[in-house]
Amino acid sequence: MPDATGTAVTSTPRALRYLVLQGVTWMAAALVAGAFAWMLADIIWQGAGRLDWSFVTTSPKSAGRSGGIAPILVSTLLILTVAIAVAAPLGLATAVLLSEFTRHGGHAGRWIGLSLDVLAGVPSIVFGIFGNAFFSVWLGLGFSILAGGLTLACMALPILIRIAESGLRAVPNDWRLGAAALGMSRATVLCQVLIPAATPALVAGLMLGIGRAMAETAALVFTSGYVDRMPSSLFDSGRAISVHIYDLTMNVAGGDRSAYASALVLIALLIIINGAAIGLADRALTRRITPI
Amino acid sequence: MRVKKLSRFGIAVALFTTFSSMAHAAENKLVLTGSSTVAPLAAEIGKRFEERNPGVRVDVQSGGSSRGITDARSGLADIGMVSRSLKDEENDLKGFTIARDGVGIILNSANSVSALTDQQITGIYTGKITDWSAVGRKAGPITVVNKAEGRSTLELFLHHFKLKASDIKAQVVIGDNQQGIKTVAGNAGAIGYVSVGTAEFEAGQGTPVKLLGMTGIAASVENVRNGSFPLARPLNLVTRDEPSGLVKSFIDFAQSADVHDLIKEQFFVPLGP
Repeated sequence: MPDATGTAVTSTPRALRYLVLQGVTWMAAALVAGAFAWMLADIIWQGAGRLDWSFVTTSPKSAGRSGGIAPILVSTLLILTVAIAVAAPLGLATAVLLSEFTRHGGHAGRWIGLSLDVLAGVPSIVFGIFGNAFFSVWLGLGFSILAGGLTLACMALPILIRIAESGLRAVPNDWRLGAAALGMSRATVLCQVLIPAATPALVAGLMLGIGRAMAETAALVFTSGYVDRMPSSLFDSGRAISVHIYDLTMNVAGGDRSAYASALVLIALLIIINGAAIGLADRALTRRITPI
Repeated sequence: MRVKKLSRFGIAVALFTTFSSMAHAAENKLVLTGSSTVAPLAAEIGKRFEERNPGVRVDVQSGGSSRGITDARSGLADIGMVSRSLKDEENDLKGFTIARDGVGIILNSANSVSALTDQQITGIYTGKITDWSAVGRKAGPITVVNKAEGRSTLELFLHHFKLKASDIKAQVVIGDNQQGIKTVAGNAGAIGYVSVGTAEFEAGQGTPVKLLGMTGIAASVENVRNGSFPLARPLNLVTRDEPSGLVKSFIDFAQSADVHDLIKEQFFVPLGP
């Protein structure tokens, strides 16, 4: 009898608490998903009418109110290519240093880690001013796609390194020991075992970095610039799509619809790049790891 | 193999950096920097200029009037863009007005206020008047919308009302014209000031904002052009030296009637008829 009442008393509130907890987590998730869905619906609602094939294949006219965004799209992709080409190898190398060649919790690792975390929190406008002073003026790159890409690489590096590092650390130590027991050199272990195993994390880091880079405005206004002509080389100034959207909403009266359409293109581009990268990473992973 | 690829990347980056200075010094290239208000207009003028002068390139960069002054002085830009009259300490630069822009006080359409005196506007912006009932209208708190420091519109506004930036007690600080219009359109008790051309266009499009006249003169594009509207500013191109060659032909072109349609397209006011 006391046993039965005991369970009844404790189980009802517990079940209730569980229900409430479940309800709250669902609501939080629904809120986040809802906010994104609302934003996306708003952009599609306002921008879809302006978006057609010619929008992505022609040059802007009348400061972007009419015409398309072809040169801006090309500039954006070029800036992104430069940023990835520079950030990926540098980021990977630093992550390898941090995870494989420094003691966990050692002095060097701690200081490098700390400086990376500080760098990750630096506002983008600071990177913009640094990029302008260092790449554009001091190195003489001027307003150019190259200067913009290099600035973005600096911005994406901290996040990229941190995620790649944790990916490398997550590779079980047994694998390193096993490889050492087989007499494999450190370089071979790195290239054949550790990096392939950490590929998903490397790609995730790269994706976050690219996401930050594609959405960047403040760092690019002063480095890659404002020119909306089709770029003919990496030394040309080229307007990135986020700068274009900002300019249309803020400086161009009547540019709202083009801004929405450009935002739609930007989101589509991000989804395509993310999807492609995740697909590639999966393929690389199954090819390298499964047969072993 | 991977290591080889990585080192090739490194070499490529190093080479880029070395050759950059050579590629930078291009002939037949004009660089304009400065006011984000003038930049879209200058970019359009530049495109038409490029069409008429094959082989010439006009690169327009934005960043604000102060930047236009600094870059023209340092020679980083061939031409600076400045959306206000030049100050006394800037008379080392040569200025060329290409268009005019009027700044008008805007209210939400739901607001029944139809005119404010300069004194009342000063009172509202310095925080002495905080409720619409003080100007004889339906009671309700006033939301003061001010421009961010460094904006030419702010300087023009302060100069006209003889205020200092620190005198202003604002609830909302905004950056650009569009942002100002959006803020006032979304708040029935708000007061702000933006470019007349932009406000006239947005009000025509059905955005719930209205322009207030100043000292009895309606805030309209026409009154900005004929100079009767008191709160107006010139849009200037500035150069360090007396313009010659390409710089001179570009400035001449920007002041010619050939670009009046472009100026109107940006809701600014051309100087000539």
